[in-house]
Amino acid sequence: MDMGGKDKFELENRNENPMNYVPSMSDWRFGSANLANRSTGLAPMGNLMAVSKGDLIGSSPCSSTSMVDSFGQILWDHNSNSENLGFYDIAVQNNASISERIGKAKASPASLRSIDTSFDMGWNPTSSMLKGGIFLPNAAAMLPQSLSQFPADSAFIERAARFSCFNGGNFSGMMSPYGIPESTGLYSRGGGLMQGTQEAFVGNGLKSVSGGQSQKNEQSGGDASKDVPLSIEHGDTEGSLVKDERKSESLLRSHDEAKQGIGQSGNDSDEAEFSGAGDQDEPSVLEGTGGEPFAKRLDSKKRKRSGPDTKLDLANGAPQQYGESAKDDAEIQQKGDQNPTSTTSKSSGKHGKQGSQPSDPPKEEYIHVRARRGQATNSHSLAERVRREKISERMKFLQDLVPGCNKVTGKAVMLDEIINYVQSLQRQVEFLSMKLATVNPRLDFNIEGLLGKNILQTRAGSAQGFSPDMSVACPLLLPSQQRLIQAGLPGMGSSSDLLRRTNDTQLSPMAGAFKDPTQLPNVWEDELHNVVQMSYGTSTPLNSQDADGSLPHSHMKVEP
Amino acid sequence: MATKGVTLNTNARKIRFARRFISILLKMRKTRSPCSSSSIEDVRKRSQRIKIAAYSSMAHAVGPRRAWSRAVLFKLRSRARHQSMMKRRSFGLQKKRVVVVKNNNDIIPSGQLSQADRLRQLVPGGKAMDMCSLLEETADYISCLATQVKVMQTIADHFSK
Repeated sequence: MDMGGKDKFELENRNENPMNYVPSMSDWRFGSANLANRSTGLAPMGNLMAVSKGDLIGSSPCSSTSMVDSFGQILWDHNSNSENLGFYDIAVQNNASISERIGKAKASPASLRSIDTSFDMGWNPTSSMLKGGIFLPNAAAMLPQSLSQFPADSAFIERAARFSCFNGGNFSGMMSPYGIPESTGLYSRGGGLMQGTQEAFVGNGLKSVSGGQSQKNEQSGGDASKDVPLSIEHGDTEGSLVKDERKSESLLRSHDEAKQGIGQSGNDSDEAEFSGAGDQDEPSVLEGTGGEPFAKRLDSKKRKRSGPDTKLDLANGAPQQYGESAKDDAEIQQKGDQNPTSTTSKSSGKHGKQGSQPSDPPKEEYIHVRARRGQATNSHSLAERVRREKISERMKFLQDLVPGCNKVTGKAVMLDEIINYVQSLQRQVEFLSMKLATVNPRLDFNIEGLLGKNILQTRAGSAQGFSPDMSVACPLLLPSQQRLIQAGLPGMGSSSDLLRRTNDTQLSPMAGAFKDPTQLPNVWEDELHNVVQMSYGTSTPLNSQDADGSLPHSHMKVEP
Repeated sequence: MATKGVTLNTNARKIRFARRFISILLKMRKTRSPCSSSSIEDVRKRSQRIKIAAYSSMAHAVGPRRAWSRAVLFKLRSRARHQSMMKRRSFGLQKKRVVVVKNNNDIIPSGQLSQADRLRQLVPGGKAMDMCSLLEETADYISCLATQVKVMQTIADHFSK
């Protein structure tokens, strides 16, 4: 059974034939019914679960029953953590919803039709599974098949290519990945224990196939768009969490797929919440409509649900964007009321990421629009996110460059400021060039000296600018004083004493007011000359340096 | 980015720019007619040349490492080539050829240009850049413009004294 299913998976993966859905459905049904199959599925599922939980599972997806034990343990851990007894039910519901969604979000109408039929076929077993709680193993069974099909490929592009193959491919694959991405997304978002468990469950199994599913999901109108932002958020977080831990290719793949299956994860998360809260309602609703309409309603419900459930602003966006029908809205609102209470009760501190979610909504809204417009593959949305982060990083750097932009927040205002600043700088250059054009003829300086001064001036900032402004020779005195102090030459005693005395006498009046500004520089200049001569005669190079340094200063200051 | 590295880089750039710019100014002063023609037209021409000199020396100081400096250098070279061709062709004729660059961005979006487009117009070579690299080039361009302004300011102050 499993082997047959696996073969079929391979065929489906390669052929992109929507007709493959049907056989896959049968496989799925069989697999769900077969515990043995489940064991193999569970093993990979267990791996995925472990991964999602953060544990690194090195076992291959097609591991033996030994994996089943680990998987079972993981499941139990999930169960214990989530305190969710109805985990299997939820998982089943998730899968059901996933299948619906898969049917809904199709790359091709043919696949849709096949999915619908397959869904109908598969729904019965799903409902039966609900009671037995065997769905998890079923999904696991499905997952291993899909997982085995996919060669280890961590490259996004390759995965995306594979995803495109999935569209025509496995129905089961569609089912599981659809659920998984959501679940993984939910998990990363920390939305409720149930969500997490469901995500882990679904994500593990579906990750491998999530790529194809995600594509299908995305195609399903608003659902995809809403889910995409959610899943994007989830996928990113999950990817970061899990990437480090995963070593096996399948794990990586599933992880990436989970990330890519943004739409799916979003949907799955919604579904998880929905199913978790409205277990009783769902089956009836699901069974009543069936096929696309059901999926649609479910999707819309999920969308609405995700808003209140996840306590994100998505709820605001979702109704705006995906108000499919009044009936659906009404249903959703009803369920939404139920869900938040149920999910909140179930959600635990484990999914602490929920707290970060409220801050994400604005970003998610933005992402939402982009994903909707592009309807791109998962790699695209992820690349978009990376690009956006790059841009924000550069904007922050620009904020430091442009003066007076610390308080400015927002890209648009910041860009305005940058543009204004660049324009002002260019105008300044133009003005200065005009000034130089008029002033130039008076130039008679030595280039090197000019350069040296220029460099000194530029290095000192506007220090040069300060001195001309100061009518008093205070700064002039300081360097001379410094020179005197540094020199400490006894030979300069007389002159230095004189200078000091003059300085003191000059300083005291200067401290109070500038009595004789003209005299001071002259006196200083005379003293300076004396000191310089003395220093040149007996001083150390330091003095000469000071003299040189101060001389141009004095020149600069005294001349004008 | 280490601030120390940035300041060292800017200082080196500053020195290179100052050297080049002052040498050009000296050249201009030498080639300038001894009679101080302070007609507005002459002043305008000189200022235009000085501005071009400033941008070219800044671009040379930065080097071909940056997209905007490469764009500036390319523009200068093409302009020089064009001028030499003009001189060769029309020996006697001194036609003023105005190269009109039609900015399609202005026409297509009704009225207001987007901020990104405005920034692209300001930063040399920005038209062929995506937003990410555009912001990076803008940052470098702003820092270079700031140093340019500082050096020119000090030179102007020097000359005005």
